[in-house]
Amino acid sequence: MCKIGIYLVCDYPNSEKFLDAVTVCEKYGMDFLEIGFPFSDPVADGPVIEKAALDVLKRENSNDFLQSLEKARNIFSKKLYVMTYSNVIFGYGTEKFAKKTEFINGIIIADLPFIESERFARIFDKYETNTIRFVTPETDFSDIDEIKQSSKDFIYFVSTRGITGGKFSMDTETLKKIEYTKKGFDYDVILGFGIKNSNDIKTACLYSDGVVIGMKAVEALEQNNFEQFIGSLKQ
Amino acid sequence: MKRYFGSYGGQFVPETLIKALSELEEAFIEFKKDKKAKREFMNYLREYAGRPTPLYFAKNLSGFSGSSVYLKREDLLHTGAHKLNNTLGQILLAKFMGKKRIIAETGAGQHGVATATAAALLNMECVVYMGKKDMERQAPNVDRMRLLGAEVVSVDKGSMTLKSAINETLRDWVKNVQTTHYLLGSAVGPHPFPSIVKYFQSVIGKETKMQIKRKENRLPDSVIACVGGGSNAIGIFSAFVDSGVELIGVEAGGESLELGKHSATLTMGRPGILHGALSYLLQDEYGQVADVHSVSAGLDYPGVGPEHSYLKDKGRVKYDVCFDNEALDGFKLLSSLEGIIPALESSHAVGYLLKHKKMFSGKIVVINLSGRGDKDLGIVRSKGVLDV
Repeated sequence: MCKIGIYLVCDYPNSEKFLDAVTVCEKYGMDFLEIGFPFSDPVADGPVIEKAALDVLKRENSNDFLQSLEKARNIFSKKLYVMTYSNVIFGYGTEKFAKKTEFINGIIIADLPFIESERFARIFDKYETNTIRFVTPETDFSDIDEIKQSSKDFIYFVSTRGITGGKFSMDTETLKKIEYTKKGFDYDVILGFGIKNSNDIKTACLYSDGVVIGMKAVEALEQNNFEQFIGSLKQ
Repeated sequence: MKRYFGSYGGQFVPETLIKALSELEEAFIEFKKDKKAKREFMNYLREYAGRPTPLYFAKNLSGFSGSSVYLKREDLLHTGAHKLNNTLGQILLAKFMGKKRIIAETGAGQHGVATATAAALLNMECVVYMGKKDMERQAPNVDRMRLLGAEVVSVDKGSMTLKSAINETLRDWVKNVQTTHYLLGSAVGPHPFPSIVKYFQSVIGKETKMQIKRKENRLPDSVIACVGGGSNAIGIFSAFVDSGVELIGVEAGGESLELGKHSATLTMGRPGILHGALSYLLQDEYGQVADVHSVSAGLDYPGVGPEHSYLKDKGRVKYDVCFDNEALDGFKLLSSLEGIIPALESSHAVGYLLKHKKMFSGKIVVINLSGRGDKDLGIVRSKGVLDV
């Protein structure tokens, strides 16, 4: 079974519509959710998600996000992750952040490569929140081994070079790395970046355990056809 | 190489960039060992850029301030600022690595011009990202970059200044990392950039040390440099860190020390993570990067190079501020006293000396005059400094 995860920017376009979107994801049986905590300088995101994040930041701060996150947790029954940037955690206080989000399943930090991840993972571990690691087509085989060993939840395979919202494609080298990552790994290997429609999902699911849809979900929310979009994904 | 300066530095970038950063580190280590590459670099610095730059005894400014003031004349370097030391070095490094495309961010436009210059010289494709606000306030530099054959991309997101330009350049790099070298212009960013930029800028300090010994037969009492990201400062400080010379980094105090109205990262910030490094950062209580301000586009940045954070905590360098109006005083005074129009960035170091005349009384002081001020005439005019 190929899993589908949806990325939503916390409280975008506003708190109410965000929570409605979470309800839709629950209703259509989405497999997991990634809730983006907005950061002022989201270098791993493309224009759509950046704009959404900066828009929310004009009105709200992390305390507001934490409230909505808890509500989302109560609505959504499957796995829930927070995706953000290092300083949203570090600048707030890593321990404090980890404690206040202890009800989530994992933390995904876009600008935290494996080589720097220990300082965060150590603290999130205390609250049984898994730090999600990334693998890219450029990651060495020996590093993939190490990343697999230290992972207690899915591995985020960044299938496409670039930022969120880019084009989805996979070359043979990428496929080889995905296969290697999956081999003997107890958890899922999830593809992200560039996956836009059910065709992309079909392709991605031939090789991986699941996908994350971000930019297109945020766009659908903006265009008020979120439910229709989510409904179309399971086909 | 070490990834950290004490507890500062690191590589806080998307995983996608890690391979490129380690390739860059390996290439840089090879490059430093390669005698031919080093000779080529030194040759360009001498024949093309105009090194060594003079260490000029500013007689009139000395008389005015009551100290012996020497100016390290990086404003006389080709393209009018210290930035060319680093761009020539990094472009040779990029060529050494077989890269064909160069991307860069720029604030005041000086790094963009220096990058476009080096790219023209070595026949590389060059794209420069520049905040829309900076393109307006530093328009002459935009024309220069285009004339030099670079594509200048206007960044109209976020603060529309240096910070947004770095975000956009990082995004380009993530997409095109296999063909492209990111020519970072300041001592900031993920490892190994702060070490690379310091290496290429350390020529400023080495020359200054030799020159002052020749002229005064001793080291100076103090060295003053402005600090935005901190490349000119780390370049000149590097030769004196192990000595007893007082080192002073001057940050932009802007309009006031209220958050949002200055760029005094080390003076007012606390540790945070931005653009790949853990370093002092101007941020709010939630870790969002704060808005910053400086009359000088080159200092208008909420972060700072990680080695400066280390030197601050260690107590080796004293970091202090000079406000917009004090920098403008320095700008005006140096122009009229010495016939040297300094960049607004460097004017902060001059302004600091004037503000603390008594403190430097009777001392030998070196100011790193990191750039010339022609580019700033528009903004200076708008501030009423040219009014009679």
